[in-house]
Amino acid sequence: MSRSAARLRLVFTAVPLLLMGLVLLVPALAGLLIPLTGRGHAFRAYRAVLADPMFGAALRNNLLIPLLSLGIEFAGGFALALFVTWRRSPLVEIAVVVPFALPEIVLLALARFIFLPRGYLNGALLAAGGVPVDWLRPGSWLALLTVSVVDAWHVTPVVMLILAAGLRSIPAELYEAALLDGAGRLSLFRHITLPLMAPALASALLLRGFDAMRIFSTVLVLAGAEGTPVLSTYAYQLWSDQLAPGRAMAAASLLGLLVTVLGLAGLGLGRRLSRQRGSLP
Amino acid sequence: MVRRVLARLLSGSLVLAGFGPLYLLAKQAITPELESFAWPPFWLPHRLTAAHLRAVFALSELRSVLARSLAVAALSAVLATALGAMLGYAMARGRRERAAGLGLISVTRLLPMIAVAIPLALALIVLGLYDTQSGIGLALVHGAVALPTAVLTSFSGFAGLPVELEEAAWLDGAGPLRAFFSVVLPAVRPFLAATFILTFLLSWDEFGFALLIQVTHRTLPPLLYYYTVFGDVGPASALALVMLLPAIAVVVMLRPMLGQTTALSALPGGVAPGERRDA
Repeated sequence: MSRSAARLRLVFTAVPLLLMGLVLLVPALAGLLIPLTGRGHAFRAYRAVLADPMFGAALRNNLLIPLLSLGIEFAGGFALALFVTWRRSPLVEIAVVVPFALPEIVLLALARFIFLPRGYLNGALLAAGGVPVDWLRPGSWLALLTVSVVDAWHVTPVVMLILAAGLRSIPAELYEAALLDGAGRLSLFRHITLPLMAPALASALLLRGFDAMRIFSTVLVLAGAEGTPVLSTYAYQLWSDQLAPGRAMAAASLLGLLVTVLGLAGLGLGRRLSRQRGSLP
Repeated sequence: MVRRVLARLLSGSLVLAGFGPLYLLAKQAITPELESFAWPPFWLPHRLTAAHLRAVFALSELRSVLARSLAVAALSAVLATALGAMLGYAMARGRRERAAGLGLISVTRLLPMIAVAIPLALALIVLGLYDTQSGIGLALVHGAVALPTAVLTSFSGFAGLPVELEEAAWLDGAGPLRAFFSVVLPAVRPFLAATFILTFLLSWDEFGFALLIQVTHRTLPPLLYYYTVFGDVGPASALALVMLLPAIAVVVMLRPMLGQTTALSALPGGVAPGERRDA
């Protein structure tokens, strides 16, 4: 009996993994290898991409936007987690998860209506006696910041949920004991909340870090493929506008390599940190 | 007193930040485009029109996009739920299966959409599944993309089920396959329903693969993108409202999770300052 059960498990594992492998993994590997074997010079597609100044700009933005976005969403997510647990109001609870519940493309359409030169934000600024600002001027630092803010806006609710779950896992006795010992609220936060939240923070950072580096639609909708390129939109533009599939696959694969290398480094760092922490008394 | 006012103010601005943009979207959907282009912008609707909303369901082009989106989402959700239940079950019952499943899931989760979508589009062109009227190629892709989510959701259902349940069925003479269908699956029905809803929404909302694979026979997200970028504010807003309908289900599903986190306020100290004030 257990033999036929094992056979069933094998089939049940093989079929789904085959679909995932064929649809996701094989194309990604093919995209990595095909540009290596172009007619004429090998590596030509990779060399062409690496020599393109647009690639340099895309790479820079691809590192800056995640950093900005992670900073904003973790500060905001932590503050929201604290606030929502303090003031319990169903209306506020729903309001703070709305940005994540919206389909991404709806949120981005909204962001465009808000941040365009004649959008609602500038309208509000004008009404308040301010001067309209060009939030999305192609190539500007402000556009980079706006894209990061919108990206953070979308996922802050998720970060909030993860961090709130981390907060919940801290035993109340720790706080009671520290209060008895005369600890102030700031030192409670510094010496209990933060260190015990470290695992939740680290895993949320890692998870969101991968996502943030793969940013695509936010940039495409808000800034267009050429104004503020990241690697995904750069590859998309090579594919759909320049009809250069070889270079497009090369650029996309370089992003894949970047995410993998940084991801593995992050995982290793996280593991080393947790080992060090474990050795502490 | 000051703190209470401050908290009210903060709550108010959070509610405004959450719902304000939605209000503006709804306003654009039900007013003539002339009002949406006004400068400085109108904050309240002056004249109302149902033209944009009616167009979503009346224009044959839009109606076919709506139908395609529904079909792709339904097909990919069925695919992901079925395959997810298979792998989830195998992973819950075997250690090697668990290692293999988790391994491939973590690898595929690292892949950027664009690194998969471009070579995949080339492959679909060769197979004749690229940009089809029915969107079947995209449904297949969405099924695979949603599979990790489906596996993890149904895995938690199977993992909570005692092995004795199947073993009893085996003793009664049912083969493993029959035991799976008539004993195990019915026991995890709520998990399967949740998996179906989640994976349906993943496909319904998905933009990147849809943009690259359904170039002329579009689904809703790319269509909304083109309307937005080309400044068709009225149709874009009406379309966005239609796209929201399934998302409302997510809010309803996320709320209980949030409700659990509010059990936090039982904690003293920095975590729940509001409670301490009363103490």
